[in-house]
Amino acid sequence: MFYREAGQFKTNYRADMAVFPISQDRIGIAIILIVAFGVIPFTASDFMLHAIMIPFLIFSLATIGLNILTGYTGLLSLGTGAFMGVGAYSCYKLATNFPEVHIIIWIVVSGFFSAAVGILFGLPSLRIKGFYLAVATLAAQFFLSWCFIRIPWLVNYNVSNAIEVQRRSLFGIPVTGPEAQPVTRYLIVLSIVVVMTWLASNLVRGRIGRMWMAVRDMDIAAELMGIRLLNTKLLAFAVSSFYCGVAGAMLVFLYYGSAEATAFSINQSFAILSMVIIGGLGSLVGSFMGAALIFTLPILLPQLMGSLGLPIQSATAEHITFMVVGALIVFFLIVEPHGLARLWQIAKQKLRVWPYPY
Amino acid sequence: MRAPDETTIKAGQTLLSVQNVSLSFGGVKAIRDVSFDIKKGEIRAIIGPNGAGKTSMLNVINGFYHPQEGEITFKGVKRKKMRPHDAATGGIARTFQNVALFRSMTTLDNIMAGRTLRMNKNFFWQLLRYGPAEREEIEHRRKVEEIIDFLEIQHIRRVPVGRLPYGLQKRVELGRALAMEPELLLLDEPMAGMNLEEKEDMCRYVIDVNNHYGTTIALIEHDMGVVMDLANRVVVLDYGQKIADGTPDEVKSNQAVIDAYLGVAH
Repeated sequence: MFYREAGQFKTNYRADMAVFPISQDRIGIAIILIVAFGVIPFTASDFMLHAIMIPFLIFSLATIGLNILTGYTGLLSLGTGAFMGVGAYSCYKLATNFPEVHIIIWIVVSGFFSAAVGILFGLPSLRIKGFYLAVATLAAQFFLSWCFIRIPWLVNYNVSNAIEVQRRSLFGIPVTGPEAQPVTRYLIVLSIVVVMTWLASNLVRGRIGRMWMAVRDMDIAAELMGIRLLNTKLLAFAVSSFYCGVAGAMLVFLYYGSAEATAFSINQSFAILSMVIIGGLGSLVGSFMGAALIFTLPILLPQLMGSLGLPIQSATAEHITFMVVGALIVFFLIVEPHGLARLWQIAKQKLRVWPYPY
Repeated sequence: MRAPDETTIKAGQTLLSVQNVSLSFGGVKAIRDVSFDIKKGEIRAIIGPNGAGKTSMLNVINGFYHPQEGEITFKGVKRKKMRPHDAATGGIARTFQNVALFRSMTTLDNIMAGRTLRMNKNFFWQLLRYGPAEREEIEHRRKVEEIIDFLEIQHIRRVPVGRLPYGLQKRVELGRALAMEPELLLLDEPMAGMNLEEKEDMCRYVIDVNNHYGTTIALIEHDMGVVMDLANRVVVLDYGQKIADGTPDEVKSNQAVIDAYLGVAH
């Protein structure tokens, strides 16, 4: 009743091809953006910003990155953690060697290093597919993890063998390092994530997105239509790794503050992959939903239990959290194997015809 | 609809010729020393019993298989080996025996994907999707809508093709091939598995494509009625060899063809 496109006619193709052709969607996204930029920074607590919003946005970006590769192009990758690590370490090297260039520029530029490494490890994808490609990217994960631990040059021969983020400012306000306020970091992360999500949505809706999906759905037909398989797959690897690299750099510089190699281990790869699967393969909205469910829920649940005043110990709360999150993942996968994005679509479809069944 | 090329071939001249092509997979000889030509503007049928090498022949023509012997001349350019990508840029499009659509994409996206080769705005314009990239997208959308109108599939524009019935999928696949604006269109059993009405529709589209766009068509088909009505010339393969070549009437009365289809008493 409230969500209905009836009466919204398109008179040109430009309007018809818009990201949000239905005006209710446009209003919705505008409200979300206004809340994210205008309301949350002023009302949310430091805990909310630092422990929930910042990492949620960063993981969403990494999930979009992997979704481009796995969801849109159909190439399964287990190297996400390593590609994020490449972004973080190259950002650290750049920031310490060229401190005169601003850190935010380096965060974005470090994505290119990640993209280059991604292309290198994407080369086998022409020959191998599916689980076998996953194993090949697993090799990338282990090799790069080894590099992060064993090559002290990457961390400038620190004794701690970890990335240590120094203080950097923007217009006199500290943006990285211990003095940086969560609000500042939140706004920077949010801006980067919003812009990059917008760019990703442009890509996947256009010629390149169609090429990726064509390769995913039927590579032989795609090839006979003149789509070069290797170029298309490598482009997907590059873009995907770029997104993961930027996410990795932000993770260290705007969230952790310092990081060891374990932050980019295989566990990280699996976490991101599960966000992609739960959120929905081939959906940008789903990437945010997946990141929200997998990352945010384990943090919010104990808070919720605490606020309900249940007399349980923190250790028990942690166990309950694990069980609830696990059960929810199983529940969502049974209800809708195509992820939360599909559930969202179904919900919208139901709203469209409400109160009638069809 | 014609690919932008230097050598324009007039109707009636040879567009593609296959000379002494042999193809084998290990010990299996799929095609043995076959030669024929396709003239511009005609509808050329390739027929033959199951396993005669018809689909292999199409795969050779659009570069998916590389014959061990023989040559293919397309638009006056002779080549021994043609890559699928070169065939596509040269103006050869095809449909498949078992529908090979991009199943999770909508009809619109499938046909738009067919125009990939004709879109050339680079990655960074695509990233911004503003100005040139957007204009290009709109311009091609217009072309795609023409094809959608032509094939009368407006109502399924936004439906993922995996959900469509078989007959419509075949039609969308034809649309995707047409979106490439090919000079030579290869149809691999376009009427297989259809009921009479769908077959009649499909025949009409094939004839319309030929008349309206002037596209040269090579088709494989098992329904002899369809072949005899549609084709200008027919080439008959059996066990990888060419056994007859000519107009439908000539082929129909050819003893070797009758033997191949009906068998001979020993």
